[in-house]
Amino acid sequence: MAELIGGLGTSHVPSIAMAIDKGLRESEEWKPFFDGYTPAQEWIAEKKPDIAVVIFNDHGNSFFLDRVPTLALGVADEYRPADEGWGPRPIPTFEGASEFAWHLADRMVEGHFDPMLCRELDVDHGMQVPMELVFGRPEAWPVKVVPILVNTIQYPIPTPQRMWELGELLRQAIESYPTDEKVVVLGTGGLSHQLQGARAGFINPEADREWVAKIGADPARYRAMTREEYIEEFGSEGAELIMWLVMRGCMDAEVKTLHKHYFAPASMTGAGMVLLENAG
Amino acid sequence: MTTFLLIPGLISDGHVWTATRAALEAGGQRPALADVTTQGDIPEMARDLLAAHEGPLVPVGHSMGGRVAMEMARIAPDRIAGLALLNTGIHAARPGEAEKREAMIALSAREGMEALAERWLPGMMAEGRAPDPEVLSGLQAMVRRMTPEIHARQMRALLARPDAAATIGDFAGPMLLVVGRQDQWSPIAQHEEIAALCPQAELRIIEEAGHFAPVEQPRATAGVIADWAAGLPQAATGKEPAMSQGDRIPDTPLFDRRRANAGYELNKMAMGLSTPEGRAAFLADEGAYLDRFVLSPEQRAAVLARDWAEMVRLGGNLFYILKISAVDPTPIREIGAAQAGMELQEFLDTRLGKVTNG
Repeated sequence: MAELIGGLGTSHVPSIAMAIDKGLRESEEWKPFFDGYTPAQEWIAEKKPDIAVVIFNDHGNSFFLDRVPTLALGVADEYRPADEGWGPRPIPTFEGASEFAWHLADRMVEGHFDPMLCRELDVDHGMQVPMELVFGRPEAWPVKVVPILVNTIQYPIPTPQRMWELGELLRQAIESYPTDEKVVVLGTGGLSHQLQGARAGFINPEADREWVAKIGADPARYRAMTREEYIEEFGSEGAELIMWLVMRGCMDAEVKTLHKHYFAPASMTGAGMVLLENAG
Repeated sequence: MTTFLLIPGLISDGHVWTATRAALEAGGQRPALADVTTQGDIPEMARDLLAAHEGPLVPVGHSMGGRVAMEMARIAPDRIAGLALLNTGIHAARPGEAEKREAMIALSAREGMEALAERWLPGMMAEGRAPDPEVLSGLQAMVRRMTPEIHARQMRALLARPDAAATIGDFAGPMLLVVGRQDQWSPIAQHEEIAALCPQAELRIIEEAGHFAPVEQPRATAGVIADWAAGLPQAATGKEPAMSQGDRIPDTPLFDRRRANAGYELNKMAMGLSTPEGRAAFLADEGAYLDRFVLSPEQRAAVLARDWAEMVRLGGNLFYILKISAVDPTPIREIGAAQAGMELQEFLDTRLGKVTNG
């Protein structure tokens, strides 16, 4: 059976992509941010996963408001970088793990999650940035991907509790998949930020630091919080953090936090990551 | 989260609450069924229910269950987030009541529950209206599920009922009163007495219904209760509010139904900039490009002025309208500052100034 090798939570701020595109990796402003990802890059280079399941939200690039899937699952053979207004970024096309994705589609529907299934899908910075942060800028991505897209833009967005349950189901799907492939799960988004309204520019570094410190060891509070509490504590767009709960929900109750990192502000956003392995 | 505790009346069970329970669940509330078949008096029923059901409660009581609900509010007002009282009353035992009740107790003891159902139920149905055979057979089956012992215990509990008239006026929380138009046993006037003591109470009359309004007109009765529950303040129900409408966090415009509707064309216009053709058309003749979409004059003016706060106010979502900044370059932090109503430097200092790395 396939094996879950670990879970990563990470920001997917678009300015990270811009910083990479502009060659600012080593700049004074950005170096501390990128350096914080080095241990995760080393870990993943050593573990060599075959499949990365990436949970993220589309930011009005692949889906318009004419149809808004609360949950969407990519089952395609490949995913191209989306044109977000500046033209598609020059990064490799992502190869889809479509066999596993269809298996996951079966398990999700049987488990009463009913995603929209996507055969042709461009993916925006929500998926691009996490992949670049952990795999750098290879000629070709060293893993196949399964995108899971969550609506976090148009209300009602799904509840944190539902995200956690999706993670539990994802774990079962991985461990019932009859190959010996290794799977890593990336929950993305956040940390605190707000882009809209007079509270724009809200960040909450204290809450963010607590999040990266506790999402591994003591996630009960985050699982129980309401959507409104996420928005209050992390800002309207910071509610993206609910997608980390899919990653956390698919891990064991007891995990080792191998690495954590926090940096603020990245553009207008608290940014950071955690790397978790099951303790058992 | 608050529990809506459904309390049946005399020799009744969950059958009375089937529709109400479903309607509350559909509204995202948490209903639970109360058991009042074992206790010897109404204060004991109230204490048992308070002990058996944790947290804040909204007792929803039918007939004798209403009496229990009022007693719960007397004993533990801090735990009672609201009261829904159906087909009930607050008067003390009336002259001759004890004799009549003892005769009924004797009947069920002597002839059994089926005979009791035959004698008792007709007077409970809407006056002047042939009872619906399905409604009647459902109630008969319910009575048969009870025993003469339960009947006797509850009847004597009713005879010894506490003086609710003396205490109900102290309950200041939300209250719903529901009564069937043709309730012969506890008529509308009894509910008006309660409303006179509790000015906050809402009195709702169910048409074509008698004393078993929740069974005789299940949809109408359940709807009234569920609507009232939905209108309770969030603090009373502990239910997470629906997030498709309404802002509750200051200066935080969530992209809800109202904004998605108001801003649809504005966002669609911006979405058009995610293709090279759209960007070229916008750059070549912005006015002509905007004419492709059904923008309000205000929305059009806001786009032309690059007034980001106004675009958001008019239903624009930043993830879409940000594409304007790809064509007419504007840093995201300037867009943030404009919405905060600050100069850029002030915005950076006060909102994003807390640089914390590591």
